[in-house]
Amino acid sequence: MARDPKHDILFEPIQIGPKTLKNRFYQVPHCIGAGSEKPGFQAYHRGMKAEGGWAACCTEYCSIHPESDDTSRVSARIWDEGDVRNLAAMCDRLHEFGALAGIELWYGGPHAPCMESRATPRGPSQIASDFELNIFPRYMDKDDINTVQQMYVDAALRARDAGFDIIYVYGAHAYLPFQFLSPFYNRRTDEYGGSFENRARFWRESLYKVREAVGDDCAIASRFAVDHLLGSTSIQVGEDGARFVEYCDDLVDLWDLTVGDIAEWGQNAGPSRFFEENHEKPYTGQIKAGNHTNKPVVGVGRITNPDTMVAIIKSGQFDIIGAARPSISDPFLPKKIEEGRLDDIRECIGCNQCISRWEIGGPPMVCTQNATAGEEYRRGWHPEVFHPAANREKSVLVVGAGPAGMECAMVLGKRQMAAVHLIDASREIGGSVNWISQLGHSDGKENLFRGTARGLGEWKRVVNYRQIQLDKLKNVELHTGSRLSADDVLEYGAEIVIVATGCHFATDGMNAATHAPIPGADTSLDWQMTPDEVVLGSKPVGQRVLVLENEAYFMGVSIAQKLAGEGRDVTLVTQAADVADYMHYTLEAPMLHRDLHRLGVDIHTYTMLDRIEPGVCHAYNVWNPAHTHEFEVDTVVLCTARISDDELYRELKADQERLTAEGIEGLYVIGDASAPRMIVDSIFDGHRLAREIDSPNPAMPLPFIRERRLWGDASNEDFRAQLLNTPDVALA
Amino acid sequence: MKVVVPVKQVVVLDDEFELLPDGSGVDPDGIESELNEWDTFSLEAALQLRDAAGDGEVVAITVGDEDAEEGLLAALAKGADRGVRVWHDELQGADALAVARVLAGAVGRESPDLVLCGVQSSDAINSATGIALAGFLSLPHVAVVTGIASDGSALTVERELEGGLVELVRVSLPALLTIQTGINEPRYATLRAIKQARDKPMEVCSPADLGIDSAQLAASIGARRRRLAMPDRGGGAEIIEGSAADVAARIATIVKERMD
Repeated sequence: MARDPKHDILFEPIQIGPKTLKNRFYQVPHCIGAGSEKPGFQAYHRGMKAEGGWAACCTEYCSIHPESDDTSRVSARIWDEGDVRNLAAMCDRLHEFGALAGIELWYGGPHAPCMESRATPRGPSQIASDFELNIFPRYMDKDDINTVQQMYVDAALRARDAGFDIIYVYGAHAYLPFQFLSPFYNRRTDEYGGSFENRARFWRESLYKVREAVGDDCAIASRFAVDHLLGSTSIQVGEDGARFVEYCDDLVDLWDLTVGDIAEWGQNAGPSRFFEENHEKPYTGQIKAGNHTNKPVVGVGRITNPDTMVAIIKSGQFDIIGAARPSISDPFLPKKIEEGRLDDIRECIGCNQCISRWEIGGPPMVCTQNATAGEEYRRGWHPEVFHPAANREKSVLVVGAGPAGMECAMVLGKRQMAAVHLIDASREIGGSVNWISQLGHSDGKENLFRGTARGLGEWKRVVNYRQIQLDKLKNVELHTGSRLSADDVLEYGAEIVIVATGCHFATDGMNAATHAPIPGADTSLDWQMTPDEVVLGSKPVGQRVLVLENEAYFMGVSIAQKLAGEGRDVTLVTQAADVADYMHYTLEAPMLHRDLHRLGVDIHTYTMLDRIEPGVCHAYNVWNPAHTHEFEVDTVVLCTARISDDELYRELKADQERLTAEGIEGLYVIGDASAPRMIVDSIFDGHRLAREIDSPNPAMPLPFIRERRLWGDASNEDFRAQLLNTPDVALA
Repeated sequence: MKVVVPVKQVVVLDDEFELLPDGSGVDPDGIESELNEWDTFSLEAALQLRDAAGDGEVVAITVGDEDAEEGLLAALAKGADRGVRVWHDELQGADALAVARVLAGAVGRESPDLVLCGVQSSDAINSATGIALAGFLSLPHVAVVTGIASDGSALTVERELEGGLVELVRVSLPALLTIQTGINEPRYATLRAIKQARDKPMEVCSPADLGIDSAQLAASIGARRRRLAMPDRGGGAEIIEGSAADVAARIATIVKERMD
């Protein structure tokens, strides 16, 4: 198929300084957990997008010096020739596919805790980071300013050597250049503080010096938050935001516009439960609309719809469509638009699982929609290429069409297994996603800072994408409304059986905090219930509700939002320091707390239930069990442990003789039926099994390539000499 | 109870298909086919009647070339006992009456207690084959059936009428019914049943084998398709632009013109 002519504008080249973008698809800098120390991961992840048609891909934030060290979070680094070598691999890979390579030069100031380098960050004023815990910068005098600006220049020269085409002086998310610009950080009284020109001076000088050094060879970009979203205490788009763009317009070839800061960067990487597509338009859209720049502008907003992209360009909002999450979810988004294959686009669901792993600090990035994200190099997975399985003459029965089962059946279908039957007991495929995607609304009326409690509706894309793909696969049959017994499975005639039957919530309050049921907890009673029962409306809910949240992710708080939004008095109890701890990693927590607070949800942290009696929950403080509290309630919702629905698997596995007699050669269990987990990990599990269904033992994941330094091999044979050169060892 | 179920392998047309240059049909390249949806319900009804009776046979019969065997195999995999495929190149482009004439030969040979057809096929949408077959076989028939109860020698069947009315019809056997979708929940075939379907009896014969010669066949044809064509798109549409008042005035003018 050919692309729809209405999308032609997305494929028009555009000049940025000395470089040309071949189309309007641009992967803005975003973290993946590779940095400069996993060059294979870095090169092959970005390279996959270049193969998929993106005109440019950037590194994540890239530290210019050990003084800007974000450990344990993983940034790229361009501190020395070793980093040049490792990042050059990414540039080369991008260039193979005709894409430009961008690098985001970063100095964090007090937002970089320097836990590995043990250096002291410098900043415009000695004010502790509002992002880090207890990190103060050293006040920068004029010499310090020159020193740090030289760090930018030296890093830019190294970046050019590595092969980068686009070099950023990165200030957005309130890093050093922005800290100078914003009075929230900058309390100086010298020529670098006070007036707008003084506050803009550091950034302008840095841009000037970098441009002087590499501007003939490379496009100079700057990432700038046009509005800090802190009102008059900092940068506002209608004031210094637009003014700064005008002031430095002569020094950049490309503006990369965002909003907010790192302390609440969910305002920029907006999760779908609070922010809709193109949500930054009210801010970033003002720059071109107000004629504040003559340079190309790129911006983001979890934009996955090609019609939205066209409207953005035609309306003059941006010239270039930026993407971080949509490019992770579908590295082939540009190519699919170009080929008119819109129904093959794997749209980002805005769950921010990708971000969560960076926030945790260390793990590779993951993606709910794209199980191959982060696996391009270490497992050699390609999101669009599926090699025919060596045992493709086999037929497969997948029992359970939730996230793991759908993904597994889809990949097995694409790997050309002879026949794949995907069977589900429910009428619709999708498993738990079908009711989970109904969560997260409150009343939806109130504006929470910038977004609203939109709910998890976009998570349904997990089902929609797979449904469409499964329907296209001629070797896959989908049958719903059919619950299979062990005998049914045994007699089904499949050579490979994969059990993906999901899990259920504990009915007795069994939980991760006490590893025991809660006395009196019993969801067979009509006034106690599990979260799914609340959503499905199978039991009446009283006016006073206690939600016990032991799960640490979205479930308990989403139930609280729903019930409070419906006008009930909700008490939310957790044994942890905060409700829904994991939602800090997904950047959903700030908006969530605004909504819970607005709805009047009564939150009790470090609190656990001792026992439940009709009409009353007896609670205690986890640090002092003698400190007790009684909650009078009409309804109790137990969001506690989940338990695998693995009876079918266990029953089948127990009868090895019968399995053999019926010709079943392989029996596997995946997803929540194996162990309850997040949707992202269920999908990975299903994908992994299908990718390795022809391995010697598909139940055991194949080893993946580990990028670590090997001791004493050819690349490291001088390890002793290096040590002997350190002064103290040389003396001894 | 012996039930014969005539089935048809239909083409599945999504957004992506092309007509043959001479307009005689749809370009078969890249076109998928499947068992007619209505026939999955008539087959299921037949299987349920057979199973409830405790003995008997379900025979699936199709008029079609080798590609139609896929549909017969699907019926066998779901539980039909035997398949019969009737074909001769003369049948290319045959209309509903000609197909019914051929089916009458094949069905008559079986002397079934009951013949269950789908109300219509999803590709041709004539709703004629089943009723014509009843005519050829001189069987009592009930069309668009949404429920069946059997007492062995006769059936009580339901038909859904306008306004939600249900008509109950008593019909003695042998008889022919055309079955509406939604009457039951068609089963699916397990992988084993799909594999085993290939071992079930499948007879291939020609109209001549059934005692129908070319002249009889030609005489039975009621109509021949001359040409398929895409409707003109957007013809006659007028985009009215301007202010609300201008648009309203223009609409009023058009309406007046048409009413004159």
